[in-house]
Amino acid sequence: MSELPPIPRPEQQPLPPAGGPRRIVLPPHRERARRPRSVRAREWVRRNLFPSWRGTLLTALAAGVLGLIAAGVIAFVFFGANWEVITHNRWLLFAGGFPREEAWRLWVSIAVVFGLIGLAYGTWSSLGRRDHLFVLLVGGFVIFLMAHGGAEIWSSVYFLIAVGCMYLGYLLTYQLPRATSSLRTLQVRVVGGLLILALPIVLLLLLVGGDVGIRSLDGFVLNLVLAPVGIVGGILIGIPLAVGRASSLKSISWTCTAYIEIVRGAPLLGWLFVALFILDDIIGGDLIIRAMVVMAVFTGAYMAEYIRGALQALPRGQYEAGQAVGLNQWQRTRLIIMPQALRISIPPMVGQAISIWKDTTLVTVILPLRELKGNADSAISQFEFTPDRIEAYVFVAVIFWIVAFMMSRISQRVERAQGVGER
Amino acid sequence: MPLFYRRGFRRLLQQGLYVAATGLLFWYIYDALNLREFGFGFLSDPAAFKVANQWLIDIDGVTNSRITMYLVGVWASLRVVFVAILLSTVVGIVVGVSRLSSNWLVARMAMLYVEVFRNTPLLVQVVLVYAIFLVGAPIIQEVLNIGDFAFVSNRGVAIPWPVPDAGLWGLPDWGVGVWVALLIAIGAVAMTVRRQRQDRERATGQPQYGNRWAFGIFAVGALVTFIVLGLPVSIDRPYVEGTRYLEGMVIRPEFAALTIGLTLYTGAFNAEIVRGSIQALPRGQTEAANAVGLSAYQRMTLIILPQALRQMIPSITNQYLNVNKNSSLAYAVLYDDLFRVAGIIQNKAGHALEMFFVIIVTYMLISLVISAVMNLVNARVTRVGV
Repeated sequence: MSELPPIPRPEQQPLPPAGGPRRIVLPPHRERARRPRSVRAREWVRRNLFPSWRGTLLTALAAGVLGLIAAGVIAFVFFGANWEVITHNRWLLFAGGFPREEAWRLWVSIAVVFGLIGLAYGTWSSLGRRDHLFVLLVGGFVIFLMAHGGAEIWSSVYFLIAVGCMYLGYLLTYQLPRATSSLRTLQVRVVGGLLILALPIVLLLLLVGGDVGIRSLDGFVLNLVLAPVGIVGGILIGIPLAVGRASSLKSISWTCTAYIEIVRGAPLLGWLFVALFILDDIIGGDLIIRAMVVMAVFTGAYMAEYIRGALQALPRGQYEAGQAVGLNQWQRTRLIIMPQALRISIPPMVGQAISIWKDTTLVTVILPLRELKGNADSAISQFEFTPDRIEAYVFVAVIFWIVAFMMSRISQRVERAQGVGER
Repeated sequence: MPLFYRRGFRRLLQQGLYVAATGLLFWYIYDALNLREFGFGFLSDPAAFKVANQWLIDIDGVTNSRITMYLVGVWASLRVVFVAILLSTVVGIVVGVSRLSSNWLVARMAMLYVEVFRNTPLLVQVVLVYAIFLVGAPIIQEVLNIGDFAFVSNRGVAIPWPVPDAGLWGLPDWGVGVWVALLIAIGAVAMTVRRQRQDRERATGQPQYGNRWAFGIFAVGALVTFIVLGLPVSIDRPYVEGTRYLEGMVIRPEFAALTIGLTLYTGAFNAEIVRGSIQALPRGQTEAANAVGLSAYQRMTLIILPQALRQMIPSITNQYLNVNKNSSLAYAVLYDDLFRVAGIIQNKAGHALEMFFVIIVTYMLISLVISAVMNLVNARVTRVGV
C-alpha cells in the first residue's frame, strides 16, 4: 500500500508590505463609496447642509421658516381646526344630491376605474415602493374619513374592495410577459380598448336607469365626471383642429386658427358665462351638459395647439417617407403622423388635463351647479359650521391635490414607458 | 385625367363642401340667437349700481353710464394683473433658483412649494387666502395698529401713501406735474450718460460704471427738483374712524386674496419654467464661470440667468397671459374686476351676447398689450452682443 503523494502546498504568498494589507485603489468616487455608512452620511450632511458659514446660515434660516410653517400647520390641523364640518358633511361633499339608495352605482364605478388603473399600471409600468405608500396614505385618509362619526361600516368595505380591484388588475397584467409578441400586442390592445371604453361605461353606470339622471351628478362626483368628459372631448376636438390648422386649404386653416385663438382669448369663466346665458338658445339641454360641451370646446383649443406643436416638431422626412411608400394623405396622417405627434404631445396634454381637473371648480363660480368647492360653500353656510371656512377649503385643496398629483405621477410613468423625450 | 381626379378640382370641391358646412352651422347659430335686439346702446344708460375697490377714481355709480362702470372694472383688473405679474415673476425666479440650490433643505422646500401650489385649484387658493384673511384678521373695532403707521383688520390693510399736495410755497397743484415732467427729463439725461459711458467702456475696456452714474444722476436730480419745487408730494397717513379707514391707501381683502392667490399659483409655474431653462443651459457655462473665479451670486446673475432668460421668455409670457385670464376669478371673492362688473351689467340689462363680446375683446386687448411688451423684452434679451 503505497503512500499517496503529498498534496502540493500552494506557494507561500509574499508577505504584505509593512503597514497593512495592500488594497486596490479605486477611482475617487468609488473610494468614497467604500467608506462606512456613518462617515458617508456625515459627509453628505456637511456637503448639503453645512458647506460654509453662509450655507449654514441659509440652512438655519430655511429650517426656521420650515419649523414655523410646520408648527403652524400642526397647531391648526390637530388643535385649532374643527374637522367636524368635513366629517359631518361627508356625503354632501362627496356626492351631494346623488340619491343615497343608488350609491352602489358610485361604488361600482370606483371599483371599475380602480381596476382599470391597476390593469394599465401592470401593462405599461410597475408599482414601486412610493406608489404603495401613496395608496396606503390616501386609502388610510379615506377610510379614516369614512369611519369617523359612525358612518356605516360598509362604505369602508366597499372602498377596500375597490382598492383590491386595483391590485387584482395589477397582478393580473403584471405577470404577463413584457417582451414583444402577439400576446403582448393583444394585451396592450385589450387594456387600451378598456381604457377608452371606461368613460362610456362609467357614464352609463352613473346616469342610466333607476332613480338617477344627469342632474344627480353633484359634489365631488361632478368634478370626477366633468374633467374626463372635458379631456376626452377636448382631444377629440383638438386632433381635427390641429390637422385643419396645418392644412394647405386656406378656408380650413383660417377657420381653425380663428376657433383656436378666439377660444383661447377668453377665460374659461367667460365661456361658462356663455354656457349659462347664450348656449341655451343654440343647443339647449341641461346646464350640466352645456357645461360639459363648454369644457370640451375650451380644452379642444388648447389640445389643438399642443398637437400642432408636435406636428411641427416631426421631421419633414416622415411626411416624405409616407409619400414614398405610396400612402395617400389620410393614410399618412392616420398611420405615420398622428401616432408620433400624439406621443410627443403627451406631456403638455397631461398638463392641460391637470389644468382642466383644477378648472372644474370654476363651474360653481357662475353656474348654479355644485361641485366639491360649491358643496364646501354649502357646508360652511350651515349655522353651526360658519366659523369653519378654512377647514372646508383646506380639505377641498387636499382632495384636488391628491388627484392632480396622481395624474402628474402617472404622466411621468407614461412618458418613461413611451420613451417620450428619448431619441 | 377625369375632372374628378384633378388636384385643383378636388381642392376646390373640398373647400366648397367645407365652406358650405361651416356656413350652414353659422346660419343655424345666427338663427338660434335671435339677434333682433342686438346692439350696444344699453351700455350708455345710467348704471345704478356701485362698485367697491376704486382707486384714484371716485364714482358713485348712480348717474354714471354702464360703460364707465365697466372701465372702472377694467382698471381694477389691470391693477391685479400688473401686481400679480410682478410678484409672481419674483417668486418664480427665487423659487426656481432655490430648486437647484446645492443646499438640500432649500431645494426641498422649493420643491414642496411648487408641488403644493401647482396641483391645487387657483379658485381654492384664492378663497382660502380670503377665508384666512376674514377669519384670522381682527375686526375693525379691534384693529391692529402698527405704530399709527399701518392698520390691519378684516376690512383690509391701510398703509400710508404719497399724494400730491399744494406745496410749501403755496405752489398750486401743477407742482406735481412739473416734477413728473422734470423726472422724465432727468431720466432721459441719465440714460444718455449711461449709454455714453457704456460705449466708452466697450471702446477702452476700462470700467466706466454706467449704471451707477445713471442711478446717481437720477437720484440727485429727483431729490433736488423735489426740494426746489417745494415738496409737492406728501405722505398721507391712514386713520380709523368708527368702522372705516380714512385716507392712506387701503389694500382690501378681496384685492389681497386675488393677488396673493394669483401670485402663489403662477409663481409655482414660473419657478418650473425658470428651473427648466437653467437646466437646459450647457454645464460648461457654470464651469466657465467657476473657472474665471466668479462667486455663486455673480455666476447666477451674470452668466446663468441672462442666458436662461432667452429660453424662458416665451413660456413666461404664456403664464402672464394666464394671469390676465385667471384674474376673472375675482368673481369668486366679489372683487369688482371687469368680469364681475360685466356680470352685474348683464344681470341688470340682459344682452348677454353683447356683454360676452365686450369681455372677450377686453381680454384679448390686454393679452395683446402683454404680448407686445414681452416681444419687446424678448427682442432685447435675444439680441446677441449687447
